[in-house]
Amino acid sequence: METKQIGKPMKRVEDARLTSGQGSFIEDMSPLPHIHHAAILRSPYPHARIKAIRTQAAEEMPGVKGVVTGQDVAACTNPFPVGVTASVHYYSLAVDKVRYVGEPVAVVVAKNRYLAEDALEKIEVEYEPLPAVVEIEQALHPESPLLHEQVGSNIANHRHFSYGDPDKAFREADVVIKHKFAFPKYSATPVETYGVIASYQSSDDSLTIWSNFHGPFTLQSVMAAALRIDSNRLRILIPKDVGGSYGIKSGVYPYMVLMGVVSKKLGLPVKWIEDRQEHLMASSSGTDRVTWIEAAVKRDGTVTGLRMKMVDSVGAYVRAPEPACLYRTHSNTTGAYRIEHLQMETIAVMTNKSPTGLIRGYGGQQLYFPLERIMQMVATKLGLDPAEVLRKNLLGKEEFPYQTPSGGIYDSGDYKSAFDKLIGMVGYEEFRQRQKEARQKGKLLGIGLACIVEPSGSNMGYITVALTPEERSKSLPKSGCAEGATVSIDPMGGISVRISTAPTGQGHETVAAQIVAEVLGVDPRTVKVIAEMDTLTSPWSVASGSYSSRFAPIGSSAVYQAAGKVREKLLRIAADQLGCSPDQLEMKGGKVALRNDPAKQVSLRRLVGSAHWNPQGLPVGTEPGIHETAFYTIPTAQPPDEQDRVNGSAAYGFVADAVVVEVDAATGDVKILNYCTVHDAGVLLNPLIADGQIMGGLAHGLGGALYEELAYDKNGQFLSGSFMDYLCPTATEMPPVTIGHIETPSPLTPLGAKGLGEGNTMSAPVVIANAVADALAEWDVTVDTLPLSPNRVWSWIQQAKKKKEEYA
Amino acid sequence: MNGNGSVELNATVEQVWAKILDPEVLAECMMGCKELVLVEDGKYRADLAVGVAAVKGKYDATIQLADVIERKSYKLIVRGEGAPGFVEAEGLIELAPGEDGSTTLTYTYTAEVGGKVASIGQRMLGGVAKLLIADFFKKLKKHVEKEQKTA
Repeated sequence: METKQIGKPMKRVEDARLTSGQGSFIEDMSPLPHIHHAAILRSPYPHARIKAIRTQAAEEMPGVKGVVTGQDVAACTNPFPVGVTASVHYYSLAVDKVRYVGEPVAVVVAKNRYLAEDALEKIEVEYEPLPAVVEIEQALHPESPLLHEQVGSNIANHRHFSYGDPDKAFREADVVIKHKFAFPKYSATPVETYGVIASYQSSDDSLTIWSNFHGPFTLQSVMAAALRIDSNRLRILIPKDVGGSYGIKSGVYPYMVLMGVVSKKLGLPVKWIEDRQEHLMASSSGTDRVTWIEAAVKRDGTVTGLRMKMVDSVGAYVRAPEPACLYRTHSNTTGAYRIEHLQMETIAVMTNKSPTGLIRGYGGQQLYFPLERIMQMVATKLGLDPAEVLRKNLLGKEEFPYQTPSGGIYDSGDYKSAFDKLIGMVGYEEFRQRQKEARQKGKLLGIGLACIVEPSGSNMGYITVALTPEERSKSLPKSGCAEGATVSIDPMGGISVRISTAPTGQGHETVAAQIVAEVLGVDPRTVKVIAEMDTLTSPWSVASGSYSSRFAPIGSSAVYQAAGKVREKLLRIAADQLGCSPDQLEMKGGKVALRNDPAKQVSLRRLVGSAHWNPQGLPVGTEPGIHETAFYTIPTAQPPDEQDRVNGSAAYGFVADAVVVEVDAATGDVKILNYCTVHDAGVLLNPLIADGQIMGGLAHGLGGALYEELAYDKNGQFLSGSFMDYLCPTATEMPPVTIGHIETPSPLTPLGAKGLGEGNTMSAPVVIANAVADALAEWDVTVDTLPLSPNRVWSWIQQAKKKKEEYA
Repeated sequence: MNGNGSVELNATVEQVWAKILDPEVLAECMMGCKELVLVEDGKYRADLAVGVAAVKGKYDATIQLADVIERKSYKLIVRGEGAPGFVEAEGLIELAPGEDGSTTLTYTYTAEVGGKVASIGQRMLGGVAKLLIADFFKKLKKHVEKEQKTA
């Protein structure tokens, strides 16, 4: 048997059950008898006062067990804690006011979902409609209607940052290029929607909740605080199979609290499965952002400084972990470039839209859209080739580890090699010739480039940058990105691994099995990985969960270390039995043998047997049993310093994208002819899974670029409540994609790996925008918003034509 | 959402006026409406059952006649709320005598919808509104002109 397992393209162990209908998802679960079913009444108004709720008629319907309203929730829970100073009272049901279309107003519980849905219609709510705030710039206006009167404005968070000497950079610049960019509100649309089963037990005031939640487990404390319950009385269990998330299922937690309240009030276990309309309307989403960006540039294309004002709309309530979208990429604001002077203003505003939260890329797509667009505009303005401008500003291999002005520590990289590989892959020089010829035939071809840094393994400390250093000093510093794992071996030699990374389809079971198999010298197919998460029995930390691409840098490292502890123990026992020292031994093929005398050996099974069956025979000081837990964090994940510098992530990968598009001038349709992407995510743990992640992330980014937007009308009415109006790319929309890799190991992670699941979600919107801008170069169209739907592109072309005619 | 239009009715202004103030006629002409129940002067309550694309359901509605100028014009204000969301519409109906004893009825309307009907049905709304209005005046025309023949 081959000893090398890490890095092999092993097929996923999860797929046998998933492709044979044996997966176990939240909807399949029925962990208790007498589960009743909940349905949620939601607000049709974006902003209104609730004058009365009449529930009697609903309560009297056959099969209905009870109704819960905002008053019940306000009476027995606290508002959810959130990491800003603005006093926003967010509960799991609307209290007194509704602030977005789809906000939960009441819950009906009945014998089945049909009866519960029918009873919703019998609840009468009297609303007094109020004017709504929809757009970001409207929310910033001091005269705009207030969502939360006690806050005094619609601003939830506001900070200023200055690193280096930005004023000097701008004073000394040859050219300053600036523009305003708008990034839309869009979502993640997993096949499986939210689901919760909650059961309250009055005998010990405890609550057990099953949900397809995947962390971050900081939110366990947020839930316990809201529920006014001891944290060890709030048991959260995550099914082994979650039907995708892409971040959005972290937003199920208000519903976990809500169903907890419902179960407690009605004295019944309750189940709630969200439907697709609810999911689009009210689950969660990415933030929409307006960015004002200015670049200080030298004539040769060197960018020396940036000024950015970024305003995120976090929807109707600033909800944990928001306003983190503003800060997740704080450390890598200057991207892949050597830009030493940076000034930033960050604002989170509240608007009458659904509250936001994690989605794949979290903050990255919002950051790189203005940054990579302005890099291309620098080239256009100076009459340089964009590839030349990017190359000039990219960090060099010799500069790593590189500290960014805002405090990021880029662990490793070879950006220029990756970029050169990309340029070769896409045939950049040949394309320019092809583009010229196409233009002569009236065809609009364009090429876009983007270089981004992909952060992975979030440092819990970055979120506290939302607070000033003075505000931060009032509480304990926050840092780290810890994850735990347990490896144990039973008396018969069966190896099991318990992880707390709450996978939602990324194949953690497979990679964990590969790692443990390599460390212990066994076949990965014999290793059993338990991905079900249980806050009472799993090894977890506040940072646990499935987000910020943290399995490769952090989760896998915890598994590796736990396996290492087991290996060490087994070698110690073997050395004792074979009468040698542990460093003379090697472990492979289910055996431990002397490296120089392989005939002297003992089977793994026998070693494990002694630990279980004959503890008295173990070397002195060795504990019986084989059961080791390890927690892993990265030393560079420090709290923010006094100057607001923070290293927000454990590791930083690199993605370089090149895209070729054709724009149909008559219809505005954008067709992607070729998409090339080169990744450097350090050592790849499983290249098959890595490429799957890249394709998925790219599909999500493609949606953001061309199709997806959670649209609202000027009154705050939600307009894209089904897949008829909220367009997601499907297999047929996927362009031809060529993936390339280079592997610059991270010096910080034991396996040299970095995360890579989100890179193209961050890069695809802007690289496609750059390609479209290049295709439309002759019309002088500035691509400054998304998605690039045919009607938007067509309108730009029409406006440009009109302008041209006026000047002619 | 807004719109306007006109219909030629083969009846006098007086005859048309009488019809468009008659709650029974109004109820019969409104698709999905069984009856109008008078709640106060010029204000009625009705159950409206309307489907917009996949969003079908009942609205508890009030229908109010306002700014009534005898034999000339009035405003029809409809407010409906129900499981599918809400509808608020306002129409101005004006009558003008034609040459040969006929009447020209012109109308303008604005409408706002909210909730599920907006989030799912918005792309169909314009079409559905046009259909409902066209159907209303078709039935009204029938009513008015049938009376003419029997008279």
